[in-house]
Amino acid sequence: MANSNLPRRIIKETQRLLSEPAPGISASPSEDNMRYFNVMILGPAQSPYEGGVFKLELFLPEEYPMAAPKVRFLTKIYHPNIDKLGRICLDILKDKWSPALQIRTVLLSIQALLSAPNPDDPLSENIAKHWKTNEAEAVETAKEWTRLYASGA
Amino acid sequence: MESEDYLYDSDAEETTDNDHYYYSDKEEEKKMQNIAVGDGDDESRSNRKAKQSYVLLKESDIQQRQENEITEVSNVLFISKAAATVLLLHYNWRVCDVQDEWFAGEERIRKKVGLFEKPVFLLPKKLREVELTCSICYENFRVSMMGWVSCGHPFCRDCWEKYVSVAIEDGVGCLTLRCPEPRCNAVVDRDSIDLFAKKNDKERYSQYLIRSYIESNKKYKWCPGADCEYAIELCEGGGDECYDVCCHCNNGFCWNCMDDAHRPVDCETVAKWQLKNSSEAHNTAWMLINTKPCPKCGKPIEKNQGCMHMTCMKPCRHEFCWLCLGPWKEHGETSGGYYACNTFQRNKEEGMYNEAEDIRKRAKKHLEKYTHYYERWAGNESSRQQALKDLKQMQKNYMGRLSDIQWATEAELKFITEAWLQIIDCRRVLKWTYAYGYYLPEDGNKKAKSKRGFFEYLQGEAESNLERLHHCTEKDMHDYLNKKCSDKEFNNFRAKLSGLTTVTRNYFENLVKALENGLEDTSSQEACSTIRSRKPRKGERTKGKRRP
Ligand SMILES: [Zn+2]
Ligand SMILES: [Zn+2]
Ligand SMILES: [Zn+2]
Ligand SMILES: [Zn+2]
Ligand SMILES: [Zn+2]
Ligand SMILES: [Zn+2]
Ligand SMILES: [Zn+2]
Repeated sequence: MANSNLPRRIIKETQRLLSEPAPGISASPSEDNMRYFNVMILGPAQSPYEGGVFKLELFLPEEYPMAAPKVRFLTKIYHPNIDKLGRICLDILKDKWSPALQIRTVLLSIQALLSAPNPDDPLSENIAKHWKTNEAEAVETAKEWTRLYASGA
Repeated sequence: MESEDYLYDSDAEETTDNDHYYYSDKEEEKKMQNIAVGDGDDESRSNRKAKQSYVLLKESDIQQRQENEITEVSNVLFISKAAATVLLLHYNWRVCDVQDEWFAGEERIRKKVGLFEKPVFLLPKKLREVELTCSICYENFRVSMMGWVSCGHPFCRDCWEKYVSVAIEDGVGCLTLRCPEPRCNAVVDRDSIDLFAKKNDKERYSQYLIRSYIESNKKYKWCPGADCEYAIELCEGGGDECYDVCCHCNNGFCWNCMDDAHRPVDCETVAKWQLKNSSEAHNTAWMLINTKPCPKCGKPIEKNQGCMHMTCMKPCRHEFCWLCLGPWKEHGETSGGYYACNTFQRNKEEGMYNEAEDIRKRAKKHLEKYTHYYERWAGNESSRQQALKDLKQMQKNYMGRLSDIQWATEAELKFITEAWLQIIDCRRVLKWTYAYGYYLPEDGNKKAKSKRGFFEYLQGEAESNLERLHHCTEKDMHDYLNKKCSDKEFNNFRAKLSGLTTVTRNYFENLVKALENGLEDTSSQEACSTIRSRKPRKGERTKGKRRP
């Protein structure tokens, strides 16, 4: 088990995540690996993802917090900044990462990304193209996918 | 001694008095002093005559320059040296730009580069002994034990050290590292690095600083020599034209294309030639011409003898005919004789072999040409490498001995070093003339033919003089290492070697000039064809061809 010598920071962050969860977000560490989190994000209101429950996985690498956590969607989602494998295009997960950021801020940023897709910095070229050429239709597809894959069943 | 042989009738402006060559005048002495490897100015000889507007910089020189510029900016703008460094990094080390931009709008520049005038995170004085939580490790520390940059965001020293270390590990981006606080733009300057970083991280940081200084300025380049730490500064003009530079590590390179030094050949030809050398195409062509698959087992069989009777390798041992690939046992008097295969002839007459055979022939001719030039190009390079080694050996092991045996001061023996340097330089030039020769049009009009003739004449003369010089320096030298000879004898040797060095240098200067002028010289071509036909006899002056 990788839980011995868990840095104080990770323990504190985990405690806070569990005691004061952010609205619409839940994150709980896996029982056998305290660096691995099962995450659920509720689709934000007034977004095509409203009503959906999205599962993600989050992993804290050895270098954390000097290196960013690794996060990925497990639930299929139609979004220009998220690819087929669930990988997310978000600056704070890459070059804009700072060790003073937290799991909480990362998850809040992902939630915000669901409310405001950014087709100008795409990860899925096709979806971004769809978004730019026919936004209404793209939004419909996103709603459809939410119903199909994120209905929480 | 036969020193007369090596006399050279040079330009009037140089000298008309033969004795001048042997007993160096002031000018000559001055030149010689500049020659020894390792002192401040040892560029190759032929470059001396061309432009020599570059300077070699060692790490401490670069640091000095960098420090001077930092100090200048720091003094003029009344800011710390660390802040001046941040600004210079932002403006690619252009001092003028820094000053102009700063006076045009200090506020804006400070914001852009992350130099805060006042901290944004304020701690009342009495709070200094209070504990705060480090927002990276979540441990509590007394504020006085924490560190911050111009913004004031406090983090513990451990976290700072790790943060800085990760950034330095990541690369050159550490030079513009920002405060760990999300969305805080405050820069982590050199003073903070000095305060927070581990010793070896600090060293790596200064390496990045030096690199950025050289790499952000067009007039500087790193020497491409392996393990060489010198940088080269080009003093005037740009790097647009082909330009040879010779570093202290004895690596000569072209400022423009960064390939090996290649005067008088242009960068384009060098690139073409190197590409040719590296391409597999020639191996394929060679295979095509010289091997055929064994008709029985399919292994490629190389034809290395004139005879058409081929025998495959063990265990196959199949015997076949190179021309028709038929079994050798069917060959004999009935098939037109052992060495004239009728099957092949018949097929050829019927046009079945013509095309293939034609391609084969052309490929073979082309390959032979390439091999000719390549062998000489590579041969001169390896000869140059050997000369470099010999020179080092000479300086390390023999100079002292020679000086003892012949009662000569080291300064009096400089003619030997000069001879070696001349050889090294000439080998390099000669090497590249073979790449030049390869691309010179072979046949065609009369002008092209006479150009090639002129080129081959100049190259031949230069080469034969170089061979004499190389031989004399390499072999004759040893006679003087072991026995004391009379002063007169040793003086004769000095005269011979210095004379040869001068003559060879002149021949190569001619060659270089002629190639750089695209062989546009007709007046001297007639002259050369007459000289070519007769060899200089003993005691006769070799009339070197000089260009007007
Ligand atoms: Zn800390
Ligand atoms: Zn800050
Ligand atoms: Zn060098
Ligand atoms: Zn070049
Ligand atoms: Zn065989
Ligand atoms: Zn045959
Ligand atoms: Zn035959």
